[in-house]
Amino acid sequence: MRRSLSSATLILVVTSIALAQQLRIEGSTTVGPIADAFADYFKSIIPGLQITVNKTGSGNAAAALIDGRCDIAAMSRFMKPEEEFKKATQKGVMPVAHLVAMDGICLIVHPSNPISELTIAQVRDIYLGKIRNWQQLGGPDMTIVAVSRDTASGTYECFHELVMHKEDMAQSVEYVSANPQAHTRVSTTPGAIGYVGLGFVDAKVKALKIDGVYPSKKTIVSGQYPLARPLFFFTNGFPELGSISYRFVTFYLTEKGQELIEAKGFVPVTDY
Amino acid sequence: MRLALRLAIDKAFTAATAIAVIGLAGLLIAVLGPMVAGGAQAVIFTSTIEFRRMQLNLYNRGDHDQITRQIARASAARQKVYDLIDEFKQGIDTQYLADQVRRIHRQFGQELKERDITGPTYAELRAISAQIRDRLEHALHTDDQDIWRADLDYVLGFSSDSRLIGTAAEAYFRIARQLKQATNGLDLSMRSQYALALKELEDILQELLGPRPSSAAPPLLRQQYGATRWDQAQRLLHRLLYQTKWVEQGRGRPLVRMEVPRRQRFEGTCLEQLFDYVPNHIRDMLLPRLTFYWQFFIDDSLESHTFGGVGPEVLGSILITLMAMAVAVPLGIASAAYLAETRSTGLPIRIIRMCINTLAGVPSIVFGLFGLAFFVLTFLPALGLGARPSILAAGLTLAVLSMPVMIRSSEEAIKAVPSTYKEAALALGAGPLRTFLTVTFPAALPGILTGIILSLSRVAGETAPVLFTGAVAMGPIPKSILQPTRTLAYGSYDMAVGDRIAELSPHNQYGMVLTLVMLILSLNAMAIILRARASAKLRGH
Repeated sequence: MRRSLSSATLILVVTSIALAQQLRIEGSTTVGPIADAFADYFKSIIPGLQITVNKTGSGNAAAALIDGRCDIAAMSRFMKPEEEFKKATQKGVMPVAHLVAMDGICLIVHPSNPISELTIAQVRDIYLGKIRNWQQLGGPDMTIVAVSRDTASGTYECFHELVMHKEDMAQSVEYVSANPQAHTRVSTTPGAIGYVGLGFVDAKVKALKIDGVYPSKKTIVSGQYPLARPLFFFTNGFPELGSISYRFVTFYLTEKGQELIEAKGFVPVTDY
Repeated sequence: MRLALRLAIDKAFTAATAIAVIGLAGLLIAVLGPMVAGGAQAVIFTSTIEFRRMQLNLYNRGDHDQITRQIARASAARQKVYDLIDEFKQGIDTQYLADQVRRIHRQFGQELKERDITGPTYAELRAISAQIRDRLEHALHTDDQDIWRADLDYVLGFSSDSRLIGTAAEAYFRIARQLKQATNGLDLSMRSQYALALKELEDILQELLGPRPSSAAPPLLRQQYGATRWDQAQRLLHRLLYQTKWVEQGRGRPLVRMEVPRRQRFEGTCLEQLFDYVPNHIRDMLLPRLTFYWQFFIDDSLESHTFGGVGPEVLGSILITLMAMAVAVPLGIASAAYLAETRSTGLPIRIIRMCINTLAGVPSIVFGLFGLAFFVLTFLPALGLGARPSILAAGLTLAVLSMPVMIRSSEEAIKAVPSTYKEAALALGAGPLRTFLTVTFPAALPGILTGIILSLSRVAGETAPVLFTGAVAMGPIPKSILQPTRTLAYGSYDMAVGDRIAELSPHNQYGMVLTLVMLILSLNAMAIILRARASAKLRGH
C-alpha cells in the first residue's frame, strides 16, 4: 500500500515537471541493461517522456558526456583521470559519479572442466601464455583457449588492472566483443576460459572460485571476491534536485530500482 | 581434332559456370535458409495461454471473455501443482513457518489487549503463548526426530485449554498438526537438501507457468509471464524432469554430462506425484495453439525485445534510408551528369574521379566517425539544432557513404547514352539543360536506377555509420527528423551484444534479421519494377 502510494506521488510529481522532457543515456554494453530496465520503468510511469538508451561502450559514453551528446553516461569503469577528466574540465564539464550497482568479473570455464578454483596469479599466467595446458593446473590434457573482451570494453580495463596488473596479454588470447559472445565461446569449447559479468553465470558454464572465494551476491557486495567492481552513472555536475536526471540517477536507491538491478543479474549496493 | 578440342573447352566452360551457379544457389540457401526458418518462428509458432494473457494485458488484444475463461481453465489444472508444493513445503520452509509463528504470538497479544484482559490472566496467557512459540521455533530448527515429536506433542497439549479456544492462538495448533502430518516419512536431516531441491523446482515452475497467482508481481516483465511459446515450454519441461549433472571421471579427466531424473531427489515424499502430473497435464496447464503473430512487424518491443515486435525499427530503417536517398539521389545524379558531360580531362577532374573511387572503398565506420565529428558535432550545432544524433545526421552520413557508388554507376549510364540522341536534340534547338532533362536522363534512367538499387540496399543494412549519428538501442518512436531512431541493423547488433536476449528469445533476434532482409528485398523490388517500367518506356512500349 505504502509502495503504491509513494509510486503514485512519484508519478504525479514527475509528470507535472517532466512533460515532454527528454533524457539521453549513452552506455557500455554491461551497464546498458540496467539503464534499459530503468528506462522501461520510467517510460511506464511518466507518459510522454522521451528517453533514449544507446550502448556504444564506456569509452564513447564518456566522450558523449564530454561532448554534451548525452545526459547520463552509464559506464562499467571510472573515468580516466588523465585523459577523460582533464578533457571534461577543460570543456567545462564536471563529471559526477553515481555508483548504481556492483558486478563481479567471473572467470568461467566449460562445465566439463574439473578445475573449480584458481588464484589470480594462475589466471594471470594463463592470459600471459605461461600456462598453456589444463594439465599444468591438475586438469585434463587440454589446450587452454583464453577468451578476453576486446580492449575497448570497460570490463577489459578492469580485468587488465585487477588481474593482469597492466601487463599485456599473450598473442594467443582470443578477443570477443561482448559478454554474450564470451559466454557462448566458453559454453561451446571444453578447453576455454573467459570472463563475464555475474549476470552471465548460468548452468551452461562454470564460475571458478578466485583465491578461494566463489563469486556471489554476498561475496561481491562485501568485497571478499577479489574481482568485484562498481558500475557507474556519470552526470555533468550533480543533477538539479527533482529533475528527471536526478530521479534517474537516484532511482537505484529505491526498492523498485534495487529489485530491477537484482533481476538483471547485478548486485544492488544497499539492502532493501 | 582442333574442333573437338574447342567443343570440349566450350563444354567445360559451360559446366564450370553451371557449377558456379549451383554453388551460389547452395550458398544462398545455406545463408538464408536458417535465417528464414528462424525468423518465421517469430511470427508463426505455437503459443501458450501465457502468450495470449501477455497480449491481452499489454496490447489489449484478443477476445477478453474467451481468454479469461481459458486462464481460469489453465489455473484449475495448475492448482494441483501448487497444492502439492504447499503440502511438501510444510516442514521444509521453516523460515516461513517461524515467521508465521512469531506473527501469531503478536496477534494473540493484541487480541488480549482488545478483549481487555489484564493482570495475572494476561501475563499467564502471554507466557503460555511465548512458550508455545519458543517450542515451535525449536522444533522447526531441529534435525532430531524425537525432539521434533516431543516439541509438537508439548504444543498440542495446550490445544484443549479452553482459554485459548476461539482465539488467534488456535493457529498454533493448526500449524503443529500440519507439521506432524507433513513430516511423517520425511527425514528431517534432509531438510536443507529438500529446501534446495524445492527452490530449483520452484524456479523452473515459475519460468514454465509464470509467478503464482497469489505472489507479488516480479520486477521484470519477462518474469511476470511463464513460457509464452510451446517449444520453450517443452524445453522447460525437460529441465523440470531431468537434472543435468557433471560427473567426475577421476583425476585429470574431463567431467561427463549426465541427466538424472529430478524425481529421485524427492523420493518417498508427496512431491513425487508432481513428476507424473506435470507431463500428463502440461497441455491443460498451458493450452497450446498455433498462432500467426503478424503484429510482430508493427508492434513496439517491450523490455529490450523480450516481448513484442520490431515496428519502430522498421519505421526507423525506412526513414533513415529515405532521408539518405533524398539527399544522395539528386546530388549524385547532378555530379554524375557533370562528370559525364564535361569535356575537360584536366587534373582537377581526374583527382575528383580518383577521390570518388577511393571513397567507395572506405570502411563504413570511418563514415560513422566522420558523421559524428562533422554532422553531429559541427554542422547541426552551426544551424542551431544542438549536438545530438538524429535521423537527419544519420541520413546525411549515409548519403555521403552511398554517393560514390551512385555517382560511378550514374556516370556510366549517362555516358552509355548514344551521342546521336544528344546531337538530334541539340540540332532541334534544345539547350544543354533541356537536352539532359528530356533526352539523356530518361535514356540513362534504367542504369541510374541500378545504381540507386545498389546503394539503397547498402544504406538500409548499414550499422556502423548510424551507430554514432542517429541510431539508439532504445527510444521513443521519432516524431521529427531531429530525433534519433531505432533501426533494424543496429537493433540486431544490440540484441547480440547487450543483454541475454539472444539467449532468452532467439526467435526475436532471428525475426529482426529476417525483417531487415525482407525490407531490403521489398525496397529492391520496388526499384526494380520502376526500372522495368523505365526501360519499357524507353523501348517505346
